[in-house]
Amino acid sequence: MRKEDSVKLISAEGFEFVIHKDAAMVSQIISNMLTSPGSFAETEHREVTFPEISTTILEKICQYFYWSLQYANGKETEFPIEPELTLELIMAANYLDT
Amino acid sequence: MAMNERKTIDLEQGWEFMQKGITKLKNILEGLPEPQFSSEDYMMLYTTIYNMCTQKPPHDYSQQLYDKYRESFEEYITSTVLPSLREKHDEFMLRELVKRWANHKVMVRWLSRFFHYLDRYFIARRSLPPLNEVGLTCFRDLVYQELNGKVRDAVISLIDQEREGEQIDRALLKNVLDIFVEIGMGQMDYYENDFEAAMLKDTAAYYSRKASNWILDDSCPDYMLKAEECLKREKDRVSHYLHSSSEPKLLEKVQHELLSVYATQLLEKEHSGCHALLRDDKVEDLSRMFRLFSKIPRGLDPVSGIFKQHVTAEGTALVKQAEDAASNKKVGILMTIPTLVNYLM
Repeated sequence: MRKEDSVKLISAEGFEFVIHKDAAMVSQIISNMLTSPGSFAETEHREVTFPEISTTILEKICQYFYWSLQYANGKETEFPIEPELTLELIMAANYLDT
Repeated sequence: MAMNERKTIDLEQGWEFMQKGITKLKNILEGLPEPQFSSEDYMMLYTTIYNMCTQKPPHDYSQQLYDKYRESFEEYITSTVLPSLREKHDEFMLRELVKRWANHKVMVRWLSRFFHYLDRYFIARRSLPPLNEVGLTCFRDLVYQELNGKVRDAVISLIDQEREGEQIDRALLKNVLDIFVEIGMGQMDYYENDFEAAMLKDTAAYYSRKASNWILDDSCPDYMLKAEECLKREKDRVSHYLHSSSEPKLLEKVQHELLSVYATQLLEKEHSGCHALLRDDKVEDLSRMFRLFSKIPRGLDPVSGIFKQHVTAEGTALVKQAEDAASNKKVGILMTIPTLVNYLM
């Protein structure tokens, strides 16, 4: 994955998830930030820290991004969610407008 | 996100933090040396709003934040934007306006993204205008309301200068007129009422003055050449900076003042009018006459009237010639008829 196509999402505990830009854009908030005019130099490595999102949740969210891209192509698959994560996941999804 | 661990953000506190971000944005727009927003800045500002809107009542500050969002624009406009515009005039004022409008749109884009959470639920719940609209409305109600008359006059003055042959900044006019269109947020009302109406009136007056001079001095062909040139230039004007919807209305005004008003005088000009052109076989001038007059309502009626008279007269003369002459002159008649048919093509 080229550097210009990637985005780094950092969890509260400091775990770094490097994902494709298109995947990250599934979140409206991340998408807004990345498309704001003049704010980020092309060469600047895009990093976003989420001090309020735990690693487990952030990992699940990244999985969701990719699943969402896949689903958009028409392939029907179910996205697995462990029940104990549900509440936090919903709140994170609301926060990220995903 | 562990909401139960989150400390409640007080409105004062939270707003103080947001204010710093807004000031930073203003500095960037004013061109002051200010580093760009980092992704951290962005997320912090967004998160602050998010938290203040998702806190339990009485700490759910959505309404207050919605109001403060609007107030931010109002404050910036009244303290900085309007004064800078009021001190300028004519073309300088137009340039400043274009700059301020561009800045304003950037400010709306950024602030509406920081305050985005309000757009998600609050505005729908209370049936309020979305953030984008609030931002644009502030500019419209404070800046546009006050200045649109001055702006309109400055634009029309430049248009008249261009008509007199001066070079003007067409790109500037296009940007200014785009404001009239964009401020309508989907409706053309502001463009039509606050600019177009006056522009059409001024255009009519301009060409009325020109026509009243030309009709006295110029021959019919020369007048028509000028008229055609004017119509061409006005059409060109539309394609470069007026809104396309102005084209039919503009051309109609020009045609009316140059052609409809003076049709009879023009066509019946003693030595150069329609009759003379037919007699002298001036095909190019007659084609122009046809092109021009076919565009105005019932424009061709007087022309066809004169044409009919001409054909009748010519025809009668030929018949008389034939009667007077011996039968070996019949060839001459057969050769004249194709020429008459020519005009019909």
